Amino acid sequence: MSLALSPMSDPFAGAPDATVLVAYAHGDGQAARVLTARLLPRVLAQATRMLSNRAEAEDVAQEAMLRLWKIAPDWRQGEAEVSTWLYRVVANLCTDRLRRNRGGVGLDQVAEPADAAPSVAARMQDDARMTALSDALAQLPERQAQAVALRHLEGLSNPAIAEIMDISVRSVESLTARGKRALAEILAGRRAELGYDDE
Amino acid sequence: MNDPHDDMLDDLFATARKGTAQPGHDLIARVLADADALQSAPAPQPAQKPGLWTQLMEAIGGWPAVSGLATATIAGVWIGVAPPAAVEDLTATLIGDEVGVALFSGDLLLGDEGLIDG
Repeated sequence: MSLALSPMSDPFAGAPDATVLVAYAHGDGQAARVLTARLLPRVLAQATRMLSNRAEAEDVAQEAMLRLWKIAPDWRQGEAEVSTWLYRVVANLCTDRLRRNRGGVGLDQVAEPADAAPSVAARMQDDARMTALSDALAQLPERQAQAVALRHLEGLSNPAIAEIMDISVRSVESLTARGKRALAEILAGRRAELGYDDE
Repeated sequence: MNDPHDDMLDDLFATARKGTAQPGHDLIARVLADADALQSAPAPQPAQKPGLWTQLMEAIGGWPAVSGLATATIAGVWIGVAPPAAVEDLTATLIGDEVGVALFSGDLLLGDEGLIDG
């Protein structure tokens, strides 16, 4: 199943996401496909970066889109961007899942990158590092984890994060600074294990 | 000189940002199936709006409140018609005078030219 939509096959080309969402709520047969093509890749990418686990990220992405379909009849255009709303939903779902599933992950659960071909070893090391990062995020307070992820994994600006999290820019700065410091402390003891001591 | 822990973190963040995750067929199918199921589901019917009398009853607390209100009204009328001595004393203290209310004139009932013809 492909989501690629050509301009000819996209009846909503140029229309804002909110307009397409309202069309979905009114029973338009193409709207869900258009929204899925536009939004699902970014939703899945955000969840994957926070969770470092494909299956969990797919579950979160499906749940976030399900919430979008459910809220469609009540969506009021002009109040919020659909993308902003989705960033918030995915961040919340991911921190819930991190806290529930990974709060006490042990160091021995990280994959060992030894004894493999160089490219495979490098990929395994990247996987181990991403899992370590995700596990460290799981140990942060929820709001710190969300702010750090939106700032450093999604690359969003502080004002954009402030809107997503419904807090002030100053609070975003404080949360990301404290979160980053806490992450560094959590990961400090894993430098060698993650292959950073010999770089 | 940069903090080596910050360098490690920055590298971890950069590695995470490089990752791409394109949704597979199965996930797309699941998402679209959810969308179809919700779109075709009948919209929930709004609860029938209660009538004016029901709303009024609910506002004051239902039948027990109505019966209490009726009792209080009758008691109020009765106290007005035949006030107990304590109430008369109180009104005399507060207002400075006694106020008597007669529903029917004595003349009307008992007078020579009243209904009861003696």
